[in-house]
Amino acid sequence: MIARADNPWTLFEAAHLLNRAGFGGSPAEIQSFHALGRSKAVESLISPAEPLNAFPLPLWCSEEAVLADMRERMEQRRSIQATKRKASQISREKYREQGLEAQAWWFHRMLLTQAPLREKMTLFWHDHFATSIKKVKKQTVLMVRQNDLFRQNAFGSSKDLTQAVLMDPAMMLYLDTQSSKKGRPNENFAREVMELFTLGEGNYTEQDIRESARAFTGYELNRQNGKVFHNLRQWDSTDKTVFGKTGPFNGKDVIDLIFEKKQAARFLSNKIWEFFVYEKPSETAQDALATILQKSNFQTGPLLREIFLSREFYSENTIRSQIKSPIQYLVGLLKQLEITDPPTRFPITAQKQLGQVLFMPPNVAGWDWGQAWINTNTLLTRYNLAGFLTKGAGELDKTPKDAQAKTPGMAPAPKNMGRGWQGPDYEKVAPRALRDEPAKLVDSLIFRFFQNPVADKARNSFIEYAISKQGVIFTNKETAELCHLILSTPYYQLC
Amino acid sequence: MKTRRDFLRSTVLGASAAWTVPMFIDRTFGQLHEGARDLAIQPITGKDDTILVVLQLAGGNDGLNTLVPYGDDAYYRARPRLGKKEADIIKLNDHVGLNGSMPFLSSLFKEGDLGIVQGVGYPNPNRSHFVSTSIWETADTTNHSNTGWLGRYFDNACPGADPTVGISFNKTHPESFGALKNPGICLNSPELYRWIHGGGEKAQAEEFFADLNQPDDDSHDNDSHDDDPNSGGSIAMAAGGKIGGIRGEANLAFLERVALDARVSSKTILEIAAKHRTSVRYDGTPLAKNLNLVARMIAGGMSTRVYYVSHGGFDTHNQQLNSHDRLLGQLDSSLKSFFADLKEQGNDKRVVLMTFSEFGRRVSENASVGTDHGKASCLFLAGPAVKGGLHGLHPSLTDLHEGDIKHNVDFRSVYGTILSDWLKAPDLKPILGANYSKLGLIG
Repeated sequence: MIARADNPWTLFEAAHLLNRAGFGGSPAEIQSFHALGRSKAVESLISPAEPLNAFPLPLWCSEEAVLADMRERMEQRRSIQATKRKASQISREKYREQGLEAQAWWFHRMLLTQAPLREKMTLFWHDHFATSIKKVKKQTVLMVRQNDLFRQNAFGSSKDLTQAVLMDPAMMLYLDTQSSKKGRPNENFAREVMELFTLGEGNYTEQDIRESARAFTGYELNRQNGKVFHNLRQWDSTDKTVFGKTGPFNGKDVIDLIFEKKQAARFLSNKIWEFFVYEKPSETAQDALATILQKSNFQTGPLLREIFLSREFYSENTIRSQIKSPIQYLVGLLKQLEITDPPTRFPITAQKQLGQVLFMPPNVAGWDWGQAWINTNTLLTRYNLAGFLTKGAGELDKTPKDAQAKTPGMAPAPKNMGRGWQGPDYEKVAPRALRDEPAKLVDSLIFRFFQNPVADKARNSFIEYAISKQGVIFTNKETAELCHLILSTPYYQLC
Repeated sequence: MKTRRDFLRSTVLGASAAWTVPMFIDRTFGQLHEGARDLAIQPITGKDDTILVVLQLAGGNDGLNTLVPYGDDAYYRARPRLGKKEADIIKLNDHVGLNGSMPFLSSLFKEGDLGIVQGVGYPNPNRSHFVSTSIWETADTTNHSNTGWLGRYFDNACPGADPTVGISFNKTHPESFGALKNPGICLNSPELYRWIHGGGEKAQAEEFFADLNQPDDDSHDNDSHDDDPNSGGSIAMAAGGKIGGIRGEANLAFLERVALDARVSSKTILEIAAKHRTSVRYDGTPLAKNLNLVARMIAGGMSTRVYYVSHGGFDTHNQQLNSHDRLLGQLDSSLKSFFADLKEQGNDKRVVLMTFSEFGRRVSENASVGTDHGKASCLFLAGPAVKGGLHGLHPSLTDLHEGDIKHNVDFRSVYGTILSDWLKAPDLKPILGANYSKLGLIG
């Protein structure tokens, strides 16, 4: 036990207690505190008479006020989140719409342009310097600007274009090149430039890649103005050895060095030939093509002129030997059917189903061309898309579900393609005057769709079908069915 | 009209064989005795072979919330909001448990019919969806290959097989089917996998269509049907139809072959799909529907060795808890129906199903209660033929590389094991480029 002090106490002792147990007091307070005696004074501290709520709290401390406040805050947070979600949804929606608009714009341009080679070269460069809106999605405008860059350089210097691509914001975002900095270079761009854009695999060493990766450091995108600049502070300015040459190269210098190699002209001219003519030209042809490109200072215009004036281009090796890409297929089909205004969603949906969506190449290597476009599913899809466009597919107004459940024989309208599609203008496509004579009608359609004679057997097959369909009168419906049959052939996939 | 026998003969020999043997040998088939030709049809109609179903979880499946390392505090530290509580998982041992949305797979595990390979990945992992998907599909970590691992299997281990040796239920040809000779076929819906013509006399239109989509085999067929204008008609090029003959398949020949593959397989597929109606109930999800189709193909006696289906939506950057559980639940429920269906057919022992995803996800949750692209992950192998249990070690959650778990098992060893132990590929070299160590996943 602790020994207790006596009850009587001094004024000083009372003041001491009030100091330690409380916050002290005025002389009067100490006086009256002292008067209680030691033990009562202690008691008054431990069991104070003053009620707990002696000091009323501000109103906002009340239970109701607190609940209301919490509700308000929750509401606020919810609304901020909703606004944020909404904003991001709106912007997502906006960019998605922008993307769709850009895709529709280019497709429309291809369909109606009077400068088709320029658009085709734009498509060539888009495939060559492949960049996808899927990655550059929030900067649709950069994709459109890049597209315009390709168009401006359609027939110009491929070397200048390669230099421009080095400074192209969309490409930079696509390949994440702005992360390549002095001290930690990223080999991605250096590798793609040599492997895919200029030389082809096997025409450079891993050391060339490593060294030039250092040259490509410091290229950055200014997010304020959307332009690419070379940040010299992030650029490795020391010497690099590329293709046996040494110097403090930057990216531009490396591209210049690449184009000093004969292989650069060879790689690109060969690729252009394959795009427009056929795959794997002879060695001699490759040499000749490379020389043309090199002599014209890498301008593609002169090369294209030589290609389109060459005898080989009009030879049996070339004519109707190329598998149409989905874009070629779709634009061509619409032109042949004289449709300038296809159902709104048709081009994009068809591109997706056939495996080539503008502004969305699958990767930096671009699309795989030629036979890669065709598999059993895409071929049947081509046939059935042709059925939709020609209206040869019959009861298109049924919903897909009904069509599947009740009449497995009928084609549902492809999703999102527009229900009200009326088909092409068959008075134009197959004038009534022709319809009396199946052979004439078929020959006219053969020229329309193949622009080339077809084997007699096929022609006879078409004619026979037309005869069997003739009946009393050859209506638009029968014409549509005949067109659909003609389009549902392997041969139609070639151009 | 051609008889079915004629049809089979002309398609099997005139087309299917056409891209597996040099053209001059193919031609000689045309001159063979009819009986011999029929014999030649026999070997490839074997219907008892093993089957692999590849199920892609597209978008990058979060392996750590699929097979949950609940015994590891580091898991809960890294995922204070996303971490699966012990009550929400089905424990497999005192370290890991399956996400509670997968009761069927858990029961399969307990029966020894589910193998889980932990920490699967590859060196220098790529965090891009398409690059990493390509890598998984081509089994080429440099991402340069033009062919897929399954396509190379078709080319090298299934000589003379029908195009239906591989069937993908994806919209596009999966990269893994890419081949030099036989890339399998793509199929969306058997009912629509056909030429759709709205003409009044459909059958008649289709007859014309059939003729127009068939290679001109009369040129190497002695008893040609010249008297029958509807037979063997093909659109050959008016001029230069035989260009580049030996350089490879000319484009027109290629197109005719695909057209024929489509037409032949369309017929087979329509027939086979109509044969079997299961009593098992499937969900309405695309995955369940596609697995239902796979089961129908198997029940119908399709000689297909590999089926490919996809389940998408695993790119869970945001608020992933519910969406990820829902996706796994859909997977679990589809597989429950699928295996019940196979069992009912008596085909369950012939089927191994393998899941894969391009990558796993970051160990730590992100600010939006989701997870970002990661690296190694786990995959499932399901079926009575599988050696059940956990394979490989669960990767450490503290020894990380850029915030990601490191792989213990190279996915190519999984492929290699399946190819040789299940699909009976005699030689892995031409398929995977090397012989990877086997894992004991089968049997």
